[in-house]
Amino acid sequence: MGMNVQETIASPQVWHPQTAAEAWHLKQSLGTDSIYVSGGTLLRTQWEAGIAAMPKHFINLSSIRGLSEIRVGESGLIIGGQVKLQACRMNTMIQRYFPMLTEALRLTAAPSIRQLATLGGNIASSIGDSLPALLGYDAEVVWFNGIEEQLILLKDWLQIARNLHPERLLLRVQLPFQQREEADGLEPGHEELVHSKTKRFYAYHKVGRREAFTPSVVTVSISGILTEARIVKDIRIALGGGQMIPIRLEQLERELIGETVDTQTIRHAYGRVVQLYEPREDIFASSAYRQTTAANVIAAELWKIAAEA
Amino acid sequence: MSDHEGQSSTSFALHCFINGEEQTLETTAATRMLNLIRDELELTGTKRSCDIGRCGACMVLMDGIAVNACLTMAYQCAGKSITTIEGIAKNGIDPIQQAFLEEGGFQCGYCTPGMIVSVKALLESNPEPSDDEIAEALSGNICRCTGYGGIWRAVKSAIKMRGSNR
Repeated sequence: MGMNVQETIASPQVWHPQTAAEAWHLKQSLGTDSIYVSGGTLLRTQWEAGIAAMPKHFINLSSIRGLSEIRVGESGLIIGGQVKLQACRMNTMIQRYFPMLTEALRLTAAPSIRQLATLGGNIASSIGDSLPALLGYDAEVVWFNGIEEQLILLKDWLQIARNLHPERLLLRVQLPFQQREEADGLEPGHEELVHSKTKRFYAYHKVGRREAFTPSVVTVSISGILTEARIVKDIRIALGGGQMIPIRLEQLERELIGETVDTQTIRHAYGRVVQLYEPREDIFASSAYRQTTAANVIAAELWKIAAEA
Repeated sequence: MSDHEGQSSTSFALHCFINGEEQTLETTAATRMLNLIRDELELTGTKRSCDIGRCGACMVLMDGIAVNACLTMAYQCAGKSITTIEGIAKNGIDPIQQAFLEEGGFQCGYCTPGMIVSVKALLESNPEPSDDEIAEALSGNICRCTGYGGIWRAVKSAIKMRGSNR
């Protein structure tokens, strides 16, 4: 059996900053020879695959105080960047108020990896499977830039993520509570009554190359509010998967608001997903395959929503 | 920054508990737990396979929670209690192991220690899991021989055995 990457190079040094400022200063001083490490699960796959070289210094983020808790704040539910994926997966507040995130995490890796990996790492990768679900909830992310905390909408950050300085440190994610009205007290399900004449719907789907514990080909979140007459009052559609940085299909969302969900609307949505979504291809799936898959999932979900209205 | 907070030198003294025994291992902070268990402690029941957390052959319990030893670095294990397959069988064969034997939950056996560790973690926290919970708990353990039928029967049997022993 061959040697693994770690055995072939000198072992890195590990630093244990206690504050975000200390971590940021370490990253500044150690530069490209260093990397922030949370659970380290994604990094390990990159090192072993030879996609990235193991740097000389690890900056361990898990010892930074205050980043490992889930709490209710004025702005919604606040999840620290160092909270483990499995802790998020099992959190009853997230299950109740942000079920698409629960479902996304249920489908992310396996429990043993989710016990090590963090939500911050999944977000900071910019390709994590949690991102389409978080986009569906208008998530905000709070970063430390060396001087101050900066809050930015997740959808805006994702558009510039690959151009930002690697020293930036994700502190937490904030999920605003949705207006629930009469939905309060109902068990989470595929849809909920928002008031007597509207229904809230939500779904998260991950399409991979096998049923469980698989890298994603396409990930979709779709959520919104439908009136009794099947008219779209509100809708959010987010897409990701593979090496794609997830996006919201805001143009399609605007086109669907006010429309009745019927065969014509579903056909329109299918065609627009294929037009608007431009996924990258890889050795496993072409761009066209991903487009068609995403369009199929969204069309099927709209069909289901209309049938249940 | 205090000493504890500062730089860890390349050499690292890992203090932890392995199968209930206090250990201090001279290693490096980034050394994988898998290497320490197999090469330093010669506990070879924990298997090496994919090296990237995809197969589950190297599963161990860390404070009772199943984690992949190939992904876990020494500094992440400081102060923790690690249980390998040898630790599970320390006081005699575990009911989960007995169930795997009786139900034919293995063929070549390479994945079996990892499977048993994952089932142990599941049943310690959830003695009566649903089918969906079993499937999710074992989603990180891959078997290339059995087709999973025998493993599924073994888990169901282990649940019954443990239930009747309570």
